[in-house]
Amino acid sequence: MSDNHTKETFFTKYIWSIDHKVIGIQYGITALLWLLVGFGLMMVMRYQLAYPDTQIPFIGWIFGEDKLLLPEKYNSLGAMHGTIMIFLGVVPLAFGAFGNYLVPLQIGAIDMAFPRLNAASYWTYFLGSIIMVVGFFVPGGAANSGWTSYPPLADVATAGQTVWLLGMVMLITSSLLGSVNIMVTVIQLRAEGMTWFRLPIFVWTQFITAFLLLLAFPPLEAAGILQLMDRLAGTSFFLPTGLVVSGEVLTNAGGGSPLLWQHLFWFLAHPEVYVLILPAFGIISEIIANNTRKPLSGYKSLVYAMTFLGFMSFVVWAHHMYLTGMGTTMGAFFQTTTMIISIPSVVILTALLLSLWGGSIRFNTPMLFALAFLPMFGIGGLTGLPLGLAAADIHLHDTYYVIGHFHYVVAPGTLFALFAGVYFWFPKVTGKSLNESLGKLHFYFSFIFMNGVFMPMFIQGLAGVSRRLADGGQAYAHAADVIYLNEIMSWSAWLLGMAQLFFIANVVLTLFKARTGEINPWNATTIDWTETTSPPLGHGNFEKIPVVYRGPYEYSVPGSKIDFTPQTEKG
Amino acid sequence: MNKLLSSITLSFIVTGGLIAGEITGVVKYIGKPPKAKRLRMDADPVCAASHQEAAKAETFIVDAKGNLANVIVYLKGVKYSGNTPTQPVELDQAGCVYSPHVMGVMAGQPVKILNSDATMHNIHGLPKINREFNFGMPKTLKEKTITFDKSEDVFVVKCDVHPWMKSFTQVFDHPYFAVTGTDGKFSIPNVPDGTYEAIAWQERFGSKRTLSQQVTVKGGSATLNFNFERPKKK
Repeated sequence: MSDNHTKETFFTKYIWSIDHKVIGIQYGITALLWLLVGFGLMMVMRYQLAYPDTQIPFIGWIFGEDKLLLPEKYNSLGAMHGTIMIFLGVVPLAFGAFGNYLVPLQIGAIDMAFPRLNAASYWTYFLGSIIMVVGFFVPGGAANSGWTSYPPLADVATAGQTVWLLGMVMLITSSLLGSVNIMVTVIQLRAEGMTWFRLPIFVWTQFITAFLLLLAFPPLEAAGILQLMDRLAGTSFFLPTGLVVSGEVLTNAGGGSPLLWQHLFWFLAHPEVYVLILPAFGIISEIIANNTRKPLSGYKSLVYAMTFLGFMSFVVWAHHMYLTGMGTTMGAFFQTTTMIISIPSVVILTALLLSLWGGSIRFNTPMLFALAFLPMFGIGGLTGLPLGLAAADIHLHDTYYVIGHFHYVVAPGTLFALFAGVYFWFPKVTGKSLNESLGKLHFYFSFIFMNGVFMPMFIQGLAGVSRRLADGGQAYAHAADVIYLNEIMSWSAWLLGMAQLFFIANVVLTLFKARTGEINPWNATTIDWTETTSPPLGHGNFEKIPVVYRGPYEYSVPGSKIDFTPQTEKG
Repeated sequence: MNKLLSSITLSFIVTGGLIAGEITGVVKYIGKPPKAKRLRMDADPVCAASHQEAAKAETFIVDAKGNLANVIVYLKGVKYSGNTPTQPVELDQAGCVYSPHVMGVMAGQPVKILNSDATMHNIHGLPKINREFNFGMPKTLKEKTITFDKSEDVFVVKCDVHPWMKSFTQVFDHPYFAVTGTDGKFSIPNVPDGTYEAIAWQERFGSKRTLSQQVTVKGGSATLNFNFERPKKK
């Protein structure tokens, strides 16, 4: 089935490729590098928080001759950390890399439905990511109005904000192209016998995520263009009448609404949370089923819960906005929907926990990350409940509690799932298995230090320490009792950075090794493992298009000689 | 006498052969001065602790004799082809107020901004012609030097952390300007002989109600006095 009718050069094969696997790898490498950059920014910020207004060691020269991370630069780093981690790192890795690489393989398709659109999606993302960091080099530095880019501040901010908006428009365009592709691929290109309820959970999560991206991103794309107009064309979509900036009344037309931006932004950004977490659920489901050697508990419950989660994610956005003075009726509506959306999350987590029950668990590196994901995401989710209720949110809003909450969801939550996925599918992509000892060191140290970074944030937040303070709260009397935690969190962050060296070393060392020739090292059932070589064939994936006869998690089938029955096995 | 002679000689050299002199004078305020407002610095304990007596706004500093401080007096439309001083002008943040409250500087002349406080300040200048600047000065950053490229009418330099902190700067393309002291006196040295339009600016009166009068410098000195008056109620 390999596609040999066009002659491939190095350039068309590895750079300007339209093969979903190459594009997936391109997404993966680019996103991992951006994650490293985004994490690097945070390590610098954590120095400023632990030791406010002292010279940054080693790399201080980057920040000018005084070697200090001044508050305005701290703001830039904060905004860019959030932007890079979410829009350049986690989403492209979870959806662009894993989705691109695995969805066609898992459903038995020779490629994505629109391979050229797929390449366009990656290159738009790549260009958008470069534009995003160009902001660091314009006068006034990179965007410094937070990753949420709230007007009126963002409308009157320095030039970096314009660059941020341009980059964001590119990134959103890329996501839209990618989401359409995944949707059409899953609907149209499933192999014979691959019915909806025989799809691996991973494919379901990518499919639902694609809907979220397609429906949630356009409002932000529109909002981004409107904000660009405000900044460049003198419009006032988000600027109210009589706005006073630096003691002077702005001469814009006025009549705009800063709140409109918040609505448009959160209409994207809340579903975005599920864009981050759904692929993680998918990866974890695959790994748990494989490493417990038993079917997932509640496959259909998982699918229904995830679908419901997807729908509900569109009607909870204003729980980010209780402090904007919305009426009690609106507040009551969004509090209710927020409580409701926690139900499918609990269903999913419960199904995954129950899947462990009675399993013959293999504690390999991907499974360790997957097991850690469950309580970590649990902490992230449960600490979100008080934020979903206006009475508690009024106290906790914009404190470190919020930072702790969403980082538990995204960092030891989604990122652990993504690491689990990298360890799990690395043999598929490269034909070589990552070293288990280095992997376990990576896991244990990451687990300890990740909690060292984020757990104290809850304590600081409950004490009322605000986020986005360049001095970590030093100037505030109420922070005095908990400010010592800054140092603990910072050292944890740096050690967490060190722990990633195990991963980097592992990847590099493994890449130099010879291929094992083993196709299905995990004894998995899905057709990405059983019907292709590792790594899969060039463009085309399969020697013969597989036919599917059974569900994705038929492990330890009674009467079977081996403990896994591939989806393609008749029976 | 010797001092006068030497200053005349020096002025002669500086102005490239022209006879130069000094404009001196006093700026007064006629009328009952408004009461200075107390600055509430409670928001930042470091600021509040740096004053034994409550600091007062420097918007209008006038003594019992009506001598008015912080008035910029300058010559308008003067051509100057001499050097720009390399000696920096200092703008200090001490006790969470700016010192001086009002200042003049030449385009290209360094402005050394100091932070004498154990707290963070933010220097936000709002010029229209020169590039706006806005940077933080944590307590460990004790000085930073900036320059203005072009001459510009008076503009605000303020702190976004401490809303009461406000100062005024005017950038000139010549050195013929001065700011009155607490005794209301000023002195503009080395002015070449000639007739000029002199302007006096005071913060409360603003740029629309500056005072102006002609002054002629001839043979070494000239006297120039301004009187700001409380506007009459219509």
